[in-house]
Amino acid sequence: MNVIEINRLTKMYGKSRGITDVSFSVEEGEIFGFIGPNGAGKSTTIRLLLSLIYPTSGSATIFGKDVVKFAPEIKKEIGYLPSEVFYYDNMKVIDLLKYSASFYKKDCTKRITELAEVMELDLTKKIDDLSLGNKKKVGIVQGLLHEPKLIILDEPTSGLDPLMQQRFFDLLEKENQKGATILFSSHILSEVQRLCDRVAIIKDGAIVQVEKISELKQNNYKKFKIETVLPLSGDYFEMPGVNQLEVKGTTTSFIFRGDINTVMQKVSTVEIANLWVEEPDLEEIFMHFYQREE
Amino acid sequence: MNMYVHELKAYRKSTMIWTISLMAIVVLFLTLFPSFAQDAEQFMKVLEGFPEELKKALGLTIDTLATILGFFSYAFLYIKLSGAIQAMNLGLSVVSKETRDKTADFLFTKPVTRVQVMTSKLLAAITSLLVTNIGFLVALFLMVSIVKTQDYSMKALFMIAITLLFLQMIFLGLGILIAVLFPKNKSVISVSLGTVFAFFMIGMISSSTDDKGLRFLTPFNYFNDQYIIQNLSYETEFIWISMAIILVTVFASYSIYRKKDIHSV
Repeated sequence: MNVIEINRLTKMYGKSRGITDVSFSVEEGEIFGFIGPNGAGKSTTIRLLLSLIYPTSGSATIFGKDVVKFAPEIKKEIGYLPSEVFYYDNMKVIDLLKYSASFYKKDCTKRITELAEVMELDLTKKIDDLSLGNKKKVGIVQGLLHEPKLIILDEPTSGLDPLMQQRFFDLLEKENQKGATILFSSHILSEVQRLCDRVAIIKDGAIVQVEKISELKQNNYKKFKIETVLPLSGDYFEMPGVNQLEVKGTTTSFIFRGDINTVMQKVSTVEIANLWVEEPDLEEIFMHFYQREE
Repeated sequence: MNMYVHELKAYRKSTMIWTISLMAIVVLFLTLFPSFAQDAEQFMKVLEGFPEELKKALGLTIDTLATILGFFSYAFLYIKLSGAIQAMNLGLSVVSKETRDKTADFLFTKPVTRVQVMTSKLLAAITSLLVTNIGFLVALFLMVSIVKTQDYSMKALFMIAITLLFLQMIFLGLGILIAVLFPKNKSVISVSLGTVFAFFMIGMISSSTDDKGLRFLTPFNYFNDQYIIQNLSYETEFIWISMAIILVTVFASYSIYRKKDIHSV
């Protein structure tokens, strides 16, 4: 069963583009990644799903119900965490969370304390006095306190330190094991790769690709930068899987996708002065997608 | 219900401040009455020298000024002015607060309809105004009973005083509608002060010129205190206009609010 089904969803802001003809679906129980650079339309799509904004054309359903018509009903089972969290400043954390809980017809007190403990959140502080990271934690507890069946996260990790990020991911995985479906939007590929089963890639308001993470992993993009002792000939690394090859004197750089061993063997046959192997950022992956499309 | 309580709490402080201020104005003004009534003759003479238009604009009617009702209705003009500012402020901020504080995402991702949100906000705002009006009425009737020099019509006094609430309802509706139409407006106080003072000025002009057409333009002149004192009733046409304005602004606000995109911050 599909928890989210998006069908040719289009949103125009006047004449400027929001998203065009976006279609994809998220199956029950999966963690679905939604990646793209800033301004690609991730938030627009999510806001349409939450009926914060209304579509220009196309439609979407959640739990099989139209997101516009059945918005309040659907939202009972949705937990949402925005990228930037803002709450009523003069409230205490616990009051804000209680207010949030009062919208759902169940007792969430125990759950609030549990979540706050995991995220090391001080419930007695005023929202005003919280740092960005701590506000984010309030957002996390607020999004999860009613045990939603669908968790929608819009670039949720900004502001969280690595330890808290880890705890947060653990929480999400636990919720997922209990049956929650998760839509995880991000511009950080490694996050998505780590957590998600499938991923939709959006660029300039349109879906470029929907792919399984396992396939993306097979494709394993790496960014190589190699400094050799002696200058290399320009085509030394010309081989299948190498993209955007650039040679400048003794420095060679390229993006590689495929079996990493083949490239390492090639590297080992020259004398190198230094070597960097990095995760390419999303832009670079997108370049690749564009090249493939052309 | 939870939203209503939340909104009420959010405006608790400002409601208290407005209520106490209005009560203070009433107390201050009416404590002047006994000494005024004593020297009424002399005042009258001074006032007779004033240009007719100015007296009308200020709401001074010589023949009634020495009575408690007349004296109060002079003060009431300025109480209405403050009351209108309070109501308009409230209407503007109760709606635009979510955008300004960027809490719209929080509220609208909850399982509630836009109509429910608007209703809670509207009811909370009305409650605030009711609290203010009750405070005002209590202060008024207490003070009047203390400072009165002769018997007066309680009914007339009440009928005049309650028009504060009518006026506030009109400005509340106006404030809400403007906030719904221009959600990005950051400065509540400048919009409300500007609008209210504009209407107040029109009101003064309309009073001094006795222009019937102008009178329709400004809620400040919908309820004529002299007419109420004399007839113990309101002018029907203006009651209808007031109700129409309130209904139209509220209804329009609802229907726009329902369909509006909530943009991210």
